[in-house]
Amino acid sequence: MKNKSFTLLLTTILTLSLVLAGCGSGNNGGGNGSAATTDPAPSNVENQAEVPQEPTEITIMLPLNTSETPPDTIKTELEKLTNTKLTYQFFPADTYEEKLNTAFATGSLPQVTYLKNQTTFIQMKEAIKDGQFWEIEPYLGEFPNLSKMKPEILNNTKVDGKLYSLYIGRPLARQGMIYRKDWADKLGISAPANVDELFEMAKAFTEQDPDGNGQKDTTGLADRNELVYGAFKTVSAWFGTPNNWGEKDGSLQPEFTFPQYVDTMEFFKNLRSNGYMNQDFAATSKTDAVNMFTSGKAGMYIGGSMQDIDSLNKDLIKNAPDAVLDTHSMVAGKDGVFAQWMIPGYNNIVLFPKSAVKSEEELKKLLAFFDKMMTPEVANLMYWGIEGTHYTVEDGKAKVTDDKELIEREVKPFKDSVIGESETNGMYESYNTLPGRVHAEELIKENVKVGVPDPTAALDSQTYTSKGVELQQIITDATYQYIYGQIDQAGFEKAVEQWKSRGGDKIIEEYNAAR
Amino acid sequence: MQEATAPSTAGPRLKPRKRPHTGELKRRIWRNKWLYVMLLPGLIYFIIFKYLPMYGLIISFQNYKPYNGIMGSEWVGMEHFKRLFTEPDFLNILMNTIILFALNLFIYFPVPIILALMLNELRGNFFKRLFQTLVYLPHFMSWVIIVSITYVMVTMDGGIINELLVYLGFEKVNFLLNPDWFRPMYILQVIWREAGWGTIIYLAAIAAVDPGLYEAARMDGAGRLRQVWHITLPAIRGVIITLFILKIGHVLDLGFEHVYLLLNSMNRGVAEIIDTYVYTAGLRQGQYSYSTAIGFFKSVIGLIMVMMVNRVSKKMGEEGVY
Amino acid sequence: MVEDRSIAGRIYAAINFTLLAIIALITVLPFVHVVAGSFTTNAELAANKFVLIPKVWSLEAYRFIFSTNTIFKAMGVSIGVTLFGTLFSMMLTALMAYALARKDLDGRKTINFLVVFTMLFNGGLIPTFLVVKEMGMIDSYASLIIPSAISAFNMIILKNFFQNIPEGLEESAKIDGCSDFGILFRIVLPLSLPAIATISLFYAVTYWNTYMSAILYLNDSAKWPIQVLLRQIVVLASGLDHSSTLDGTVPPPDQTIKMAVIVVATIPILLVYPFLQKHFAKGALLGSMKG
Repeated sequence: MKNKSFTLLLTTILTLSLVLAGCGSGNNGGGNGSAATTDPAPSNVENQAEVPQEPTEITIMLPLNTSETPPDTIKTELEKLTNTKLTYQFFPADTYEEKLNTAFATGSLPQVTYLKNQTTFIQMKEAIKDGQFWEIEPYLGEFPNLSKMKPEILNNTKVDGKLYSLYIGRPLARQGMIYRKDWADKLGISAPANVDELFEMAKAFTEQDPDGNGQKDTTGLADRNELVYGAFKTVSAWFGTPNNWGEKDGSLQPEFTFPQYVDTMEFFKNLRSNGYMNQDFAATSKTDAVNMFTSGKAGMYIGGSMQDIDSLNKDLIKNAPDAVLDTHSMVAGKDGVFAQWMIPGYNNIVLFPKSAVKSEEELKKLLAFFDKMMTPEVANLMYWGIEGTHYTVEDGKAKVTDDKELIEREVKPFKDSVIGESETNGMYESYNTLPGRVHAEELIKENVKVGVPDPTAALDSQTYTSKGVELQQIITDATYQYIYGQIDQAGFEKAVEQWKSRGGDKIIEEYNAAR
Repeated sequence: MQEATAPSTAGPRLKPRKRPHTGELKRRIWRNKWLYVMLLPGLIYFIIFKYLPMYGLIISFQNYKPYNGIMGSEWVGMEHFKRLFTEPDFLNILMNTIILFALNLFIYFPVPIILALMLNELRGNFFKRLFQTLVYLPHFMSWVIIVSITYVMVTMDGGIINELLVYLGFEKVNFLLNPDWFRPMYILQVIWREAGWGTIIYLAAIAAVDPGLYEAARMDGAGRLRQVWHITLPAIRGVIITLFILKIGHVLDLGFEHVYLLLNSMNRGVAEIIDTYVYTAGLRQGQYSYSTAIGFFKSVIGLIMVMMVNRVSKKMGEEGVY
Repeated sequence: MVEDRSIAGRIYAAINFTLLAIIALITVLPFVHVVAGSFTTNAELAANKFVLIPKVWSLEAYRFIFSTNTIFKAMGVSIGVTLFGTLFSMMLTALMAYALARKDLDGRKTINFLVVFTMLFNGGLIPTFLVVKEMGMIDSYASLIIPSAISAFNMIILKNFFQNIPEGLEESAKIDGCSDFGILFRIVLPLSLPAIATISLFYAVTYWNTYMSAILYLNDSAKWPIQVLLRQIVVLASGLDHSSTLDGTVPPPDQTIKMAVIVVATIPILLVYPFLQKHFAKGALLGSMKG
């Protein structure tokens, strides 16, 4: 039996061990890099310090939102600009919580720890209160660029009134609809001015054969299994529902106790039962909803960001070469008032664990790094890449190169880690060519003017922290069930009662007490 | 020889009837010393990587905070178990879990056995190998892919199956959201993905059957079906029973990802199982202790089931798993 | 198997063949869809959903994934871990399984029970992580192999197969002066080739699918195996709201790239099976020799 196959196996093992040895030497691993530094002399021209200092060694952990970890192109440049020696530890966003929790519980978080989103932030709050992370507010004054961060957003990220984190900024209200302008023009309808016209548009897109193929094979709205980043919350804001929580009789109450929330459910119920939106939207993933739209079978897409128009357009024009897309967000409610819900201005935060950052001095070095990240030079590098390679400047804005792959691989992984926003860190805004996208950027600015903030964004509720997600499930389920006609308003109110009795009452109490 | 003496104290306890003289026992252990040496690496592995970390189960009885550690966290006794059992939906979730498990046991479990027998009956090595390879393919597709392909096929918004139903003059069926369709969809996907892969172990057992037995049976005039019944099946009975016992230990442990991907607001009443509940109520909210307590509960039930079935199988003259 | 040439035998075979052909077709179609999807464009996938033969052919997805060496590196890691891991695991498992298969071993029932126990109870991620950390395996390939060296399930199955070997053979070998190791390597293992092939396959697939240990124990992404890359792309491209960061600064990768990565990451492990398949036949042969 010990014939060819066994020899083959052994040879393979030997060959492989060589291959593996080759892989291992490429990049030296994480940890706090105790190895002696043999760095190329840092050219820190922009560093105000007169004496060239030893580069600071920093280990950074952050979620990976792209296919693979980036090569060192940007990192090397960044190290030069900031006089640092950086070790980036990317971990897949999908399982980032597991990594984060395990590393935290075993005391192995690195000096700079990015969380994943607001949910992980809420989870971490208890540990933050317990003093596991450095409070940074006392030091911010020493860093001119960090002091530029928006106080109202910093305020949203405070825990018990103290600041522990830097935020990754996001436009406050990017949501709105992306629709088939060519269909609307053909049918002679204009962008909907109010929710009734929105309904009429969905109806016309479904019934009047907008693609002109003689078949009734189009749908008004393509939506997905998400109440917040899908169509529901955006439309609900148009109807005048408060953003998560609203003022009623002098106290804060959850949005689903407001009549406008029920109106919104009724709106979607009618859309669905008449066939003006996809029937299976409660089980449809983002990809499937997008596919429906880009295949040219649906006329409207309402989602978390109108900036998605670029990627929607890219695939759509391959299937429907004549398609023209536009964005729109000014849809008035029944009472003629405009409203847009706003996020708290950030989508993620950075923390500095005491287990890894041993001294004030070390913390200041880390903050110095982030202070430099708030300069246009560094922020542009991390957000747009290297000028001339990844982007060019046109009209004072950044125009990305046509080599999308290069951007995807080398720049995008760093994009989500840039703190602040273009107003504060001075990085370029994007130069857009697609008219719908240009329109979107205008609308994003308009949205804020009628923006509705979440009044609980800076408030704290113990019950919400421990049971909020579980309780929200009750309302989410009931909302879908109402839209699908399985329960009526009485049934929905019963669900709200359930929410209250299982802990919701306490959340109401705690938020009102925290005000 | 510590490893040798440790089992020796346990050995006689299990077989009280045949309690040997200590001298005899020592001699037997010495005679089998090389067997204990073989056992050693495995034992060390299980102790270090399986038994040592089990102290983590303690947090089921604590209000565990990662920053306080296990030593510093507050003790709460049976608090988390109480919370679980008094959860308003607990009975419903438990029933959903048990029903899905029952489907696994009674519908899925026999499929690989039948498929393996069918594959074994194929003439010609080419087709045998070809079909084996083809049916084993789906095991390598993740649930994410399987569920998304299923979506594309069965959606009411242009899925081919619903288009076909309409073409044939039927009403569209809401496979994805109708709670009645959740269980059939679930078990069909399980069968589709795992049945072919599941045959491998049975095929290995069948391969060990002495061909002379078939020869003799044919001499006696037994047909193919009777040969299957009287020779092949008995030959794999041991494997079937072992797999059955091991499977029953996972009665409340169905694998989170598949169900979670199928779960939506419309079918939650039948599709919420313990594992998906742990995810929303425990893990997503950082409630380590509660999650661990639920895991502990699942394990205890699994252990009881395994012990029961193992005992029954031994009564029936089978080997059992321990 | 000897042919049965009677009419009933032929009908029996024909029915069996037809049924299996249908089953094989059903199981293979979605896979065909994935392969076809990897050779077309994203727009075509969006428009025609269940593509089996692409109308528009494109190698774009493969060009994208092969344009850097990331996938080759990850593949190298996976192949290495799978080969070494399977060998290592098989060694430990076979030794343990054989010892426990011997009915004259004192304490075997207790040990068997303790092994089954670990299938039901485990201490969780954090304590296991600490053990791995204490042993200095963080950021080493060993962390992908050693902490999962023996699967209780595989060990029990293998033990079961060993138990079916007639004791007489071992007895006579013993009389011929074979030691226990000799019996295992000269008699038991050669007689159990189908079982060895099966369990090796199980281990190989488990190692090939290594994901969570890589995320937990390897901070250096250059050491990640193929599954990390695969899952990352699949999850991103599927737009799953698992616990979403969904806000669109970064549009997801194309569907076609997802399909191409599945194809590339699956083929190596698929090739293992036909290689092992022939050992099933060999086992039968040996069976006949001894009979």
